[in-house]
Amino acid sequence: MDILWLGVLALLLIGYFALEGFDIGLGMLLPVLGRTQRDRDRIVSAMAPFVLANEVWLVAVAGVLFGAFPEIEGRALFGLYPVVVALLVSWILRDAGLWFRRRLDGAAWRAAWDWAVCAGSYGLALSWGMALAAIAGGLSGPPVGLAGLGCGIVVAALFAFHGWTFASWLLPGQVTGASRGTGALVVSACAAALPVAAPLAVLAPWLLGHAAPAETLGVLSLIIAPFTPLMVGAQVWTWRTFGPRRAADRTPSFF
Amino acid sequence: MDVLDLARTQFAVTGSLHFLFVALTLGLAPLVAIMHTRHAVTGRPDHERATRFWGQIYVTNYALGIFTGLVMEFQFGLSWSGLSEYAGDVFGAPLAIETLGAFFLESTFLGLWIFGWHRLPRWLHLACIWLVTLTAYASAFWIMVANAFLQNPAGAVERGGRLVLTDLGALLTNPTMTMALPHVIGASLWVAGFTVMGASAYQLFRRTSEREFFTSSLRAGVLAAFAGSLIAVGFGYAQFGVVSAFQPDKFKQPLAGPGLGIMIGIGQPLQFLIMFVLMPVLYWLPRWRWAQPVLMIVTPLPFLTAIAGWLVRENGRQPWLINGKLTVADAMSPGLTSGMVTLSFVGFAGVLGLLAVVDYLLIARTVRRGPAAATLGVDEPAGPTTRAHALSH
Repeated sequence: MDILWLGVLALLLIGYFALEGFDIGLGMLLPVLGRTQRDRDRIVSAMAPFVLANEVWLVAVAGVLFGAFPEIEGRALFGLYPVVVALLVSWILRDAGLWFRRRLDGAAWRAAWDWAVCAGSYGLALSWGMALAAIAGGLSGPPVGLAGLGCGIVVAALFAFHGWTFASWLLPGQVTGASRGTGALVVSACAAALPVAAPLAVLAPWLLGHAAPAETLGVLSLIIAPFTPLMVGAQVWTWRTFGPRRAADRTPSFF
Repeated sequence: MDVLDLARTQFAVTGSLHFLFVALTLGLAPLVAIMHTRHAVTGRPDHERATRFWGQIYVTNYALGIFTGLVMEFQFGLSWSGLSEYAGDVFGAPLAIETLGAFFLESTFLGLWIFGWHRLPRWLHLACIWLVTLTAYASAFWIMVANAFLQNPAGAVERGGRLVLTDLGALLTNPTMTMALPHVIGASLWVAGFTVMGASAYQLFRRTSEREFFTSSLRAGVLAAFAGSLIAVGFGYAQFGVVSAFQPDKFKQPLAGPGLGIMIGIGQPLQFLIMFVLMPVLYWLPRWRWAQPVLMIVTPLPFLTAIAGWLVRENGRQPWLINGKLTVADAMSPGLTSGMVTLSFVGFAGVLGLLAVVDYLLIARTVRRGPAAATLGVDEPAGPTTRAHALSH
């Protein structure tokens, strides 16, 4: 049972990096790929229908951590205190940019929120890098440091690559000028997930040793199992609905 | 203020902000779903306009519910790691189920609903908003299960210095949950009903061209508020028995007593006003110009009573985090410093406070511009031309 929930945790965390990674990457690349407001609108419209379905994987990670690995939850979040605060503020800033950018007409309004999307995305990538570096170091050292910064740059670069590939896949030849197939997108997703998959594999025994007791995990499994087909179905449906076969320009974009 | 007070204040502020937005989300979701159902069944354009207009208000409000909710979820680990250390095996379960079995689905289906206009088949698109509503209420259930456990730790025993889950049935039928959940849901419907009523009164008062649209929505708002206020008040009084059984000293706490006074002092007369004044004259009410400013002025009151209600529930639990088991002081993360909390508090409260103000201004603007300017689900190519087209209709 504990191995099952370790698998769930790993799947959610890796899924978050593989999916939300391209949203964060495109956010970082927004001023580079979108020189004009029209181009930026097109990039945001491309990722917009996926954001809500992608970012929620991290919400689920925190929930599973609390329910299935409660000792780790407190220790990890508190041990990473400044990084987690930076991550949350960045996440909120990025999301606020997406939700608010189209709510007023002015060019300055939309441009300002586009910068919020960009800054928030950089903040997310760098915070993740620092968090992963600190976790790999066993949460012993200070969570903010040079190694963390280096790791953050690697994560940011991988997310940017993933975002670039996603845009080339969904809008071939339009935003990036390049076209990429589904295979390339899977490769870039794997690349984006690598920074979190590696520490997870190393830390698996430690996580297993701190899983919640069997009673708790049994209750979690019993209640969550009936919903898994719906969860998988909703995610697949999102990709089928907003994938490249239907022109993204025809999406009534709310973000 | 010492570090404990700071951490408590941070939780109180972010929690209150969260509920302010979540209450409206919970109340508006079924209203928007009903409007969308009428649109799907009849195909009438006025029902589509209503769905898109109130739907835009709903999703604009939803954004802040997410932002504040993120901080809430992670704050447990940041400031109160003693809680997961001691009771995570029990308290963590409903939270994990909420994120996986409810919010995960809610967020995914909300994305499909927002961006699925004119793309999804009519009935599947309608199913999305009903699934969003259903999962939102499932969320409320699991959060209330978790909160009720803090008020009355049922279904768990202490073993080796930690709480372990022994009785799932007792956890899920906690009397401090079964009475409080309908109370919260009633309050949410009330909040949403008054928001719809107040926004409609404003539009009618300005004598815009949308008289028909807002005449019917004003009536719908009062009806929703009537249903919500009956449920909220009924289950409010019903909780006195439960509270005196499990937390006899609850109302003696410094904020809980006055909070109770505000909740009943405002809530009870307001409920009478709806039942004995607004409901009997419901048919004529939208035409009475003098009544419209009054309806606008009372709109924020159920929000105020909702926050007062949470102050009663949470402050009345002090000094316990888990009633009789774990104090708030013992649950605080060991090593947490005033500097850390101050810094994160400034960050969270500053960012969330600012965004909350912006969000309310955007909602007010959506209300002011009326259904013709709603951008949710506009059937136009994306781009800067969207708004111009929407206005020219």
